[in-house]
Formats: sequence, C-alpha cells, structure tokens
Amino acid sequence: MAFFEKLLRSKIFVWTLLVLPGLWPLWPIFVVPDPSVGADPLKFILHHFGFVACVLLAVVLTFTPLRVLWPKSKLAQALNRHRRLVGVGAFAYALLHLIAYLLGNGLSTLVHDAYVVPKPFILAGLTAFTILLVLAITSLHALVRWIGGRRWKNLHRLAYLAAALAAYHQIYARKLFPVQVLWIFGPLALLEIARIVRQRANAAARPKAAAAG
Amino acid sequence: MLIRSPKSWEIPTSAVTSASLYHDRPRRDFLRTLGLGLAGAALLRPSALLAATAGFPAKGNPLYPGSALKPTPEEYVTGYNNFYEFGTDKGDPKELANQGWKTDPWTIELAGLVRSPAKFDVNELVKKIGGIEERVYRHRCVEAWSMVIPWDGFALAKLVALADPKPEAKFLKLTSFNDPKSSIGQRDHNLNYPYVEGLRLDEATNELAFLATGVYGKPLPNQNGAPIRLVTPWKYGFKGIKSIVRIEFTATQPTNTWNIMAPSEYGFYANVNPTVDHPRWSQASERIIGGGIFSGRQATLMFNGYDKQVAGLYKGLDLAKNY
Ligand code: HEM
Repeated sequence: MAFFEKLLRSKIFVWTLLVLPGLWPLWPIFVVPDPSVGADPLKFILHHFGFVACVLLAVVLTFTPLRVLWPKSKLAQALNRHRRLVGVGAFAYALLHLIAYLLGNGLSTLVHDAYVVPKPFILAGLTAFTILLVLAITSLHALVRWIGGRRWKNLHRLAYLAAALAAYHQIYARKLFPVQVLWIFGPLALLEIARIVRQRANAAARPKAAAAG
Repeated sequence: MLIRSPKSWEIPTSAVTSASLYHDRPRRDFLRTLGLGLAGAALLRPSALLAATAGFPAKGNPLYPGSALKPTPEEYVTGYNNFYEFGTDKGDPKELANQGWKTDPWTIELAGLVRSPAKFDVNELVKKIGGIEERVYRHRCVEAWSMVIPWDGFALAKLVALADPKPEAKFLKLTSFNDPKSSIGQRDHNLNYPYVEGLRLDEATNELAFLATGVYGKPLPNQNGAPIRLVTPWKYGFKGIKSIVRIEFTATQPTNTWNIMAPSEYGFYANVNPTVDHPRWSQASERIIGGGIFSGRQATLMFNGYDKQVAGLYKGLDLAKNY
C-alpha cells in the first residue's frame, strides 16, 4: 500500500499513465496491423483520442469526491495532487481529437456541421472543448492567483458541464447506445451522489461550518 | 481544401492493374481454397468453403468494369463491416460471423403476391438464373465513408421475373436470417431482428439492383452477408440486406429495420444524397476506405454517381422528405 501510494504521488508515473494511451493507435496501425483499423486509421485515432479525453475527464472529476468521502485516505490525497495534470491531460486529448477531426474533415465540414446545418452532437463537442480550453488556460499558476481562489473554483465547476456534454457527445457519436459511457461516467455519477449526501449530512451536523468543496 | 474532386479515382487506371488486382488473383485464390477443401482441410476453417459456390468464376459485366474505378483493397472489404448481427465494431463481424455460423446449405424463399412462390437452395437458384457476373460498384455507407467493391452475383430483376409478381405487388420485403444461437447481436437485441429491408418493385427491377453471392471473385465471406445479399449502389449501405432468407412481394410499403430504430435518421429510400444531411453529420462528402491517414474526403455524388440509371425512379418525389 505504501509503495502504491508512493507510486501514485509520483509525477513521472502519472505522466506515463497520461502519455501511454496516446501511443496505443500505433499498435493496430503499424505493429500488428488490424484491417478494421487500417481501413480508416484516422477515424480510429479520432475515436480513440475522444475516448481517452472522456476517460480522463471523468477520472479527474472523481478526485474531489474521493477526498470528501475518504478524507484520511492517503490514496485520495495522492490523487488530488494531480488534479491539474490530469485535467490538462483531458484537454490535450480533446485537442488531439479535434486535430484528427480537422485533418480528416477539414474546417469547412466543422463550419457546416456547427453553423450552416447545426448538429447538436457537434455543438456539444465544441462547447465541451471550449470549456476544457478555458479551464486549461486558467490553470496556469499565475492566472490562478490573478483570478482568485473562490472565483477560480466557481469557474472550474464548468468541468461538470463539460463532462455532461462530453457524455452526450459520445453517446450520439454512435448509431446505437455505447455501453462504455456507463463504465466511464457511471462511477463518477455514483461518487457525486455519495458526496452530496455526505456533505448534506456534514452540514446538518455542523450548521455553521462552510461546506467543503 | 481537403475535399477532393472525384475525378482522381474515376480516371481509368491501367488495364494491367484492373486485370491483376481483382480478376486473376482472387480466382487463383479461390481455386486454391477449393483445393484445400478437397484435401479435407475445410473442416479446420469452416468459413472458407461454405456459402454459395455456384457459377464461379464469373464473367465481368462490361457495363460496370473494374477499369473505371479503383477497388478498395480486399482486406478492408472483408475486414471493415457493419453487420450488427455479429457485433457493432467494424472488426467484429469478421471474427464473430466465423465461429460456427452455417451459411451452407441455405434456402431462400419467394413469397407473397407472386404467381410462382418457391423455395430454392441458393446454388440451385444461381443455376436457374443462368449463372453470375461480376460488377464493380461504388459503395457509400450512411456513416459517410465509401468503398469500391467488385461483386459477383446476378440482377435482382431476374429473380423478380422468376417470381412473376401479380399486378397488385408494388414492393419487395426482404428478410434476413434469425438465429440467436449463432448471432450475438440477436441474442443482445441490439436491433429489431430479423433485419428487414424493402424496395419498390420498380427499384428492384432497375438494372443496378443486384443480388451478390460473391465478392472479389470468391463466394461471399460470412461477414459480407453470405450466401446471398442485396446490393443497391445508389442507396446507403444499410439497404443492402445481408444473408437473405425470404423475399416477399407486397402491396404496401414494408418498414425497414433502421427506420424502426431511428425514424428521423434512416428512411425507407436511403438514396445517397449529398444535399440532405444526416441529423448528426454532413452527407456532402465521404472518407475513402483504404486511403490512409491523409486521404481527406471526396465529394459525395448524387445517387452515388448512378443518377443516369436511377434518377427517373424519383421524379416528383421530395427527396428531403423521403430520405
Ligand atoms: C472540438 C470539438 C469536437 C468535435 C468537432 C468532435 C467531433 C467528433 C466526431 C466527428 C466524432 C465521431 C463521429 C463518428 O464516428 O462519425 C466524435 C466522437 C467522439 N468524441 Fe468528439 N468532437 C469534439 C469534442 C470532443 C470532446 C471535448 C470530447 C471529450 C472530452 C469528445 C469525445 C468524443 C468521444 C468519446 C467520441 C466517440 C468515440 C467512439 O464512438 O468510439 N469529443 N467527435
């Protein structure tokens, strides 16, 4: 456990975890070619980066409820050291996803699907991306200080909206409901419910104490 | 910018390419497969020899030659499939349709408002029809990707003539197999099964409408809809119902499976139309399968480039409403 905790505290370890999924497409494209990937490798890359972005977004949002629910847990504390890194990782994959999209479809298709004949599915993706972009930029240390703690926190609550939009976007990217959405966002939803219940109980017990964030 | 003009791939490649790419080699492969089968190895790879083998090798139909279009590499045609009966990922059907699902022997039934209702073994049907021919067609999926595929089979019109429809018959209702034991998709109910598709009678007798029993000069692999499937190249791919067991002639328009699943997204006609968007993506252009990472997109053509043959069918029909 101590080893695991040490590992989780390590920045290098988390960086590795963040970078490795980005290399994965090399495998079915080059190392062990899979025709169902090679048929349209860019589509595979697009889907994969979108998938990783959703996973990271859902994962980073579990850190706070984990800490609220298990305040003494060393693991929860270790994870919360990496909120910024994992959050920016989610943005980075969303950016790669957008680049893959633009490479395959061109800006004209984005303009068509967002503006000429708007598609809710694309608008949701764009809005989620814009939110992640704003949150990534405002995560620069200097900006955090400049904006101020409370306002920064409020701004970063938009991450929940981004997650909801990303889940909608992921569902409507497919012709049939993709079950993995439940695996990705289900645990987060459960933890959030548990956290709200816990915070209500705490607030009732200590009426004067400020709600934990 | 990234949208390419279709001309680049419509220009005939050399005759040499056309002959070697999808005529001679597949046939040799097929003969080799046959040899393997005779040697008794067929048991090891059950899918290799099953499906309708009658009529191979087929003669190319000069109206739809391979020289005019560059066929998609065979590994993608047989490895990138939408066949939800065998999974929803493109690579699933190749694996899951070849785990004991039997496509030989196979009976297909002609029924409904016809003078000659009948049941045929597919191989017998091919012989009765007078053999098969090869046609190279464009293939456009509703998901905005496209292939060029050399099919082997026969004109659907020949089957319609065989069935001899009564005057009341106005539509064809085509039904696919229903075998949850073999089909993971049917066990999971990922769609309404069995899969059903429909055509107007005049669409079915159009010269383009085709029943394929093979691809790339060989009997259809299971994942491509063995042993017999519909090919309507001016319509989105989901109209091309696979593994057909029954064709019923009806007076009223049948409801097709994807129309039941999502009526606002998939209609009865499903004609390829770059000016009518899918609710979630543009249909104005398409990705070329096998084009690699930097291939960009090419413009989608009205009726997938077959307007000369089919535009007459839809005179006076509002194609934005009848999508
Ligand atoms: C910047 C604007 C965005 C655009 C233009 C965009 C576009 C797309 C497109 C075209 C698809 C695939 C649809 C298809 O398969 O035909 C897709 C799928 C997807 N996108 Fe996005 N997206 C955007 C932002 C995002 C963001 C911010 C996330 C996550 C945080 C995301 C996650 C996903 C996921 C998970 C999929 C589904 C992959 C799959 O089905 O396997 N996207 N997106």
